[in-house]
Amino acid sequence: MKESLLEIDHLSVRYPAPGGDIAAVNDFSLNLVAGECVGIVGESGAGKSQALLAAMGLLPRHARVAGSIRYGGAPFTRELRGRRVAMIFQDPMTSLTPHLRVGAQIAESLTHHLRLSGAAARARALELLRQVQVTDAERRLDQYPHELSGGMRQRVMIAIALACNPEVLIADEPTTALDVTVQAQILALLAGLKRERGMAVVIVTHDLGVVAGVADRVLVMYGGRLVESGAVADLLTTPRHPYSRALLRSMPRIDDPLDGPLHTIAGQPPSPARLPTGCAFHPRCERASDVCRSRFPALAAGRTDVACHHPVEDA
Amino acid sequence: MLRLAARRLLGLVPTLFVIVTLSFFVIRLAPGGPFDDEQTLPPEIKANLEAAYGLDQPVATQYLRYLQSLSHGDFGPSFKFKDFSVTELIGQGLPLSLTLGLAAVLLALALGVPLGAFAALRQNGALDYSVMAFAVLGVALPGFVIGPLLALVFGLHLRWLPVAGWSPGEWRYLVLPALTLALPVIAYIARLTRGSLLEVLRSNFVRTARAKGLPERIVLWRHAIRPALLPVVSYLGPASAFVMTGSLVVETVFGLPGSGRYLVQGAINRDYTLVMGMIIVYGSLMLVLNLIADLLYGWLDPRVRYE
Ligand SMILES: Nc1ncnc2c1ncn2[C@@H]1O[C@H](COP(=O)(O)OP(=O)(O)O)[C@@H](O)[C@H]1O
Ligand code: SF4
Ligand SMILES: [Mg+2]
Repeated sequence: MKESLLEIDHLSVRYPAPGGDIAAVNDFSLNLVAGECVGIVGESGAGKSQALLAAMGLLPRHARVAGSIRYGGAPFTRELRGRRVAMIFQDPMTSLTPHLRVGAQIAESLTHHLRLSGAAARARALELLRQVQVTDAERRLDQYPHELSGGMRQRVMIAIALACNPEVLIADEPTTALDVTVQAQILALLAGLKRERGMAVVIVTHDLGVVAGVADRVLVMYGGRLVESGAVADLLTTPRHPYSRALLRSMPRIDDPLDGPLHTIAGQPPSPARLPTGCAFHPRCERASDVCRSRFPALAAGRTDVACHHPVEDA
Repeated sequence: MLRLAARRLLGLVPTLFVIVTLSFFVIRLAPGGPFDDEQTLPPEIKANLEAAYGLDQPVATQYLRYLQSLSHGDFGPSFKFKDFSVTELIGQGLPLSLTLGLAAVLLALALGVPLGAFAALRQNGALDYSVMAFAVLGVALPGFVIGPLLALVFGLHLRWLPVAGWSPGEWRYLVLPALTLALPVIAYIARLTRGSLLEVLRSNFVRTARAKGLPERIVLWRHAIRPALLPVVSYLGPASAFVMTGSLVVETVFGLPGSGRYLVQGAINRDYTLVMGMIIVYGSLMLVLNLIADLLYGWLDPRVRYE
C-alpha cells in the first residue's frame, strides 16, 4: 500500500444565499496516494474547482467549508501550499501578478519556502523556465506577464508550481483557455514532468482523451457530488453510472462517422442553488424510477464505486 | 524614467499655451473692464489709464504683447493693486496656499488609503461599517460646514488648535484648514481604496499568490496593494483640482492670507493680469500634478507604461 498524501474526507462547500444555501460541493472524498494521477471530470458547475480550492484552503472567506482535509496524516496548513501541494489554474492570462516580473514571481516561492538567497532563487527560476520549455528563458525572467502569450504564461504558472518540488500537483483545467495546438504541448509537458518527478497529479479536464492518456483513476462529479470513481480502464470502457455513460457517449470519437449523430446529454446541469431531490441526475436520466426521485443514492463499492439506484450492470 | 518625465513635461507647453490663449480672450468677453466701477474717475483719466495699460489697443495686439511679456516670465502689473506686479501678489499668497493644498492632499492619502484598506480587510466588520458611514458623510458635507464645525470643536471647545488666523511658520494654524479641505477627499479615497482592494483580493493573481503559501501580509503588500491603488492615483488629478478650488473657501473661513483672495478679488475687479497670472500658475500646477499621477500609474501598472 502506497503512502497517502492528500486525504479529503466528507468535504462540503456551501454559500449562504437569500433563497437558501448554494451547495457547491456535497460530501466529496478523495484519498490521493504518492505518485498516482487522478482525473476529475464532469460538466461545468459540477463543483470540481470548488472541491479542489477548498482542499487548498483557497476559497473566499464567506464559503462554509465542512469536512476534513489532511496531508500526510496531519491537518492541511498554509505552509503546505506551494511547498508540498501546488496548484495551477484555468486562466493563465489573469493568474500572474501584472506588476511583478516573471522571474520574481517564480523566485518568491523559493525564497519563502526554501529560504534561498535572491541570486540562488533567480538561478533556480531560470532553470525552471528551461524545464517548462519557455523559449528565451533568460530574457523572460525580467519580462512582465503581459509580454508573454497565454501558453507561455501557463508554462510560467507550471514553473511556479514546480519550484519547490511539490509531491502533489493539482491542475484545474490547465488547458481549457488555450489554443488547441498549445493545449497539446502543455499536456505533453505536464505528462512528461509527472513521469520524471513521480509527482501525484490531480487533473480536472473536459477531455476524456486526456484522462485516458494520463490518469490512473477517474472521479466523475455531478451536482456537487461524486457519482462514480474507479480505475481508468474500468470506468472509461464500461462505466456503471448512467451519467458517466452519457458523458462518455457525448465525446466525439475518432472512428465516429463524420455525418453521424452527435450524442449530447439532454437537459441542463442542475443549479447548486436548487438541486433536484433524490438523485440530482434524475431529470435527465433514462433509467430514473420513483426511488431515484425521492431517495438519494449513496456511493457504494463495486467494480467502480457508484452512487446510483440502478447502475448499469456488467454486460 | 527621468528622460520620459522631461519629455512629458515639455509636452505640457502646448497645452498651457492653449489655456493661456483661451483664458485671455474669455476674460475679455466678460462684460466690464478694470476701471469701469470707479465712478469718480473722469472719462479722460480713465482713457489715460487704459492707454497706460495698453487697453486701448485692439485685443489681438494686447494678446501679442501679453505673450511677449510672458515669454520673459513677466505676468505684468496688477490693474487694481497699483504699485504691485502680479508676480509679487501671487508670490505673497502662493506659498501658503501651496502648503495648505499639499498638506491636504498628503493628509487625504495618508488617512484615506489605510482607512479603506483596513475596511476592506475587515469587510462587513464594525470598522468597515464605520469607515463607510464616514465616507458617505465626508463626501456629502461641504467645506463651509465642516470648517466652522471643526473650529468649534477643536478650537473653541477643546482649545487644542487655533480657531483661525495665521502666523508664519506656525503649522498649528494649518491643521484645521488642511483637515477641512482633506475630509471629503479622505472619505472618497477610503471608498475607492476599499472597493478596489476588495476586487483585487478576489482576483486570480491573488489566488496564485495564496496558492504559493505566502503569508497574507506578503500577498497584500507585494501582490494586491499596487493594483488596488490604481483608481486612487487616477483620482489624484481631480482631487488636486478639488483641493485647489476648495482652498478658496477654506482660506476665507479660517482667515488665511493665501492666494485664494487674489483670484476672487481679481475676478470681481476685472483685474485681467492678476486673473491671468493665477490661471497660469494654477493651470501649470494642475498639469504637472496630472503628469505625476500618470507617471505613478505607469509605475503601478507596467501594462500602461509609456515608451
Ligand atoms: N463565490 C460563490 N458564491 C456562490 N456560488 C458559488 C461561488 N463559487 C462557486 N459557486 C458555485 O459552485 C458551483 C460549482 O462551481 P465550480 O466548482 O467552479 O464548477 P466546475 O465543476 O465547473 O469547476 C457553481 O455552480 C457555482 O455557481
Ligand atoms: S439513481 Fe436513478 S436517476 Fe440517478 S443515475 Fe441512477 S438510475 Fe439515474
Ligand atoms: Mg472549474
